[in-house]
Amino acid sequence: MNRFTTSILVLALTCLFSSAQAQTINWGSLKAENKQLITVNAGLEYGAVYGIGYGYKINNRLFPIIATVEYSAPTGDKPYDDFKTKIGGQIRWVKLNNFQFSTKLHGVFRSYQNELVRMLNFGSDLSGIAGYYRPNWFVAGELGFDKAIVTHFDHSQAYREQYPGVVDGWYEPATGGNLYYGLQTGVSFRRHDISVRAGKLLRQDFKTAPMLPFYGQLGYTIRF
Amino acid sequence: MKAKQTLFTLALSALLFVSCKEERFIDQPGNLVPKTVDQDAGLPAITVNGARLHSEAFGHPDSPMIVAIHGGPGGDYRYLLNLKQLAEHGYRVVFYDQRGSGLSQRFPEKSYTALGAKAVDLMYDDLRGVIAHYRTSSSQKVFLLGYSWGGILAAGYAGKHPEAIQGLVVCEPGGLRWDDIMTFVSKSRSFNPWSESLNNASYLDQFTAGKEDQHDILDHKLALQSAKDEVTGEDNTTPGSFWRSGAVINTALFKVGRTYKPDFTKGLSRFSTPVLFLYSDQNKAYPPAWAQRISGAFPSADLFQVSGVGHTGIVKDKTTWQQVTLPKMLNYFKTR
Repeated sequence: MNRFTTSILVLALTCLFSSAQAQTINWGSLKAENKQLITVNAGLEYGAVYGIGYGYKINNRLFPIIATVEYSAPTGDKPYDDFKTKIGGQIRWVKLNNFQFSTKLHGVFRSYQNELVRMLNFGSDLSGIAGYYRPNWFVAGELGFDKAIVTHFDHSQAYREQYPGVVDGWYEPATGGNLYYGLQTGVSFRRHDISVRAGKLLRQDFKTAPMLPFYGQLGYTIRF
Repeated sequence: MKAKQTLFTLALSALLFVSCKEERFIDQPGNLVPKTVDQDAGLPAITVNGARLHSEAFGHPDSPMIVAIHGGPGGDYRYLLNLKQLAEHGYRVVFYDQRGSGLSQRFPEKSYTALGAKAVDLMYDDLRGVIAHYRTSSSQKVFLLGYSWGGILAAGYAGKHPEAIQGLVVCEPGGLRWDDIMTFVSKSRSFNPWSESLNNASYLDQFTAGKEDQHDILDHKLALQSAKDEVTGEDNTTPGSFWRSGAVINTALFKVGRTYKPDFTKGLSRFSTPVLFLYSDQNKAYPPAWAQRISGAFPSADLFQVSGVGHTGIVKDKTTWQQVTLPKMLNYFKTR
């Protein structure tokens, strides 16, 4: 089995077995010549979701940066009514032997629609990741906050039948936010990384949990 | 690089400008959900047990009284309004939104949870207050008609005050013992994990969260999450389905339930009056065996399956109401 076939197989298996929506990076396996990363992932995060991402590494001796764009969407009958896009980057701030610490900051744009409303939201997702990174494997902990900063509500006729006085438009201050924390781990071989993330979600009151109170992701990344 | 930074700054500024210009607040009454009776004096209301309750009554004040008790907790009586027609048949039909629900006054979550197991007594006391408010004489008959959670509450009330009511109609109470209630809730939320229904309910969590007692946004969110239910056959997107959900009381009473596991069958053995027990055939979480099990708590119950509708359709669906439910209920009330 050549390298190309292996890559396709891994990609297909990843899509089949699902995982979620953030690029999980093994800093230990990133080589200087690796400039670009493509990730596919699927899993559970506010629903059953699948995603794809692209990363571009900006070499910097002190603080390497990976600029990323990501797209994810939940499964369901209507493929384009709900989705999330992220644009931002991950910066590694600390490297002490195999221990490394990085932060991720993404601007988020997402959409939600059901029979009663369509919502568009701009938000931010900030997280810190600290872990032990080796060329062939890594394990890390992550802690982050996903903030819904400003949301546009556009109610359907069905909702207006219930409440004709509803006011559509942009709503702020922040309409929501969730804290997440968990572990990520993975193995790397040649130009490939397979990673798993899992953890818990808490609402912004830090007491109650969303309907799906956990997340889990299986991801595959190819570096080139 | 500089060009990219400039572009990014411009885009961010434009976004901030647009969002500031059309700013709306999620906690401003009336923006996302209707105002409650304490915020809008034009709504019909009564004061009971220290709470302003959205309430209306139809029919002659001295006629036998039928008190409609909505589901939830945290629903409202809008989907039960077909019951108004009972007034044309010689009954006094009373509707009220329970405290913290529909268009009734909102209270903090702690006002319920601090009561512990007695939080359920608060709901009984409100019901007793509503009856007392509308009752014109001690000889006036009182019938309770409870739907879903309202059926649970009505059954509990019948067990507590068996002599105070002359008849009871319940429509699909999930269970009357806490374990049964949770079994029903869990069955009714058993979405296919890949389905649109699950995403419609759960994906929303990253758009609106709401903090404790932020009633407007929490109520709005609960309404969106309750739009449709493929398991129970509920459809809250049709006209006249609801006014406003009550998220805080819903959360609070479930918290109380999980901790204290209330038993709504307590005292029911003393309630010998036959009960009309209605259930639908489109609610996948409520098969005939479940109806048998739940109705078993009543000393005497007439089980009747209503065809062609789901959980709320027994009264809400106009055709079913006219052709099936109304005649059945009239026949029941006539014999009491």
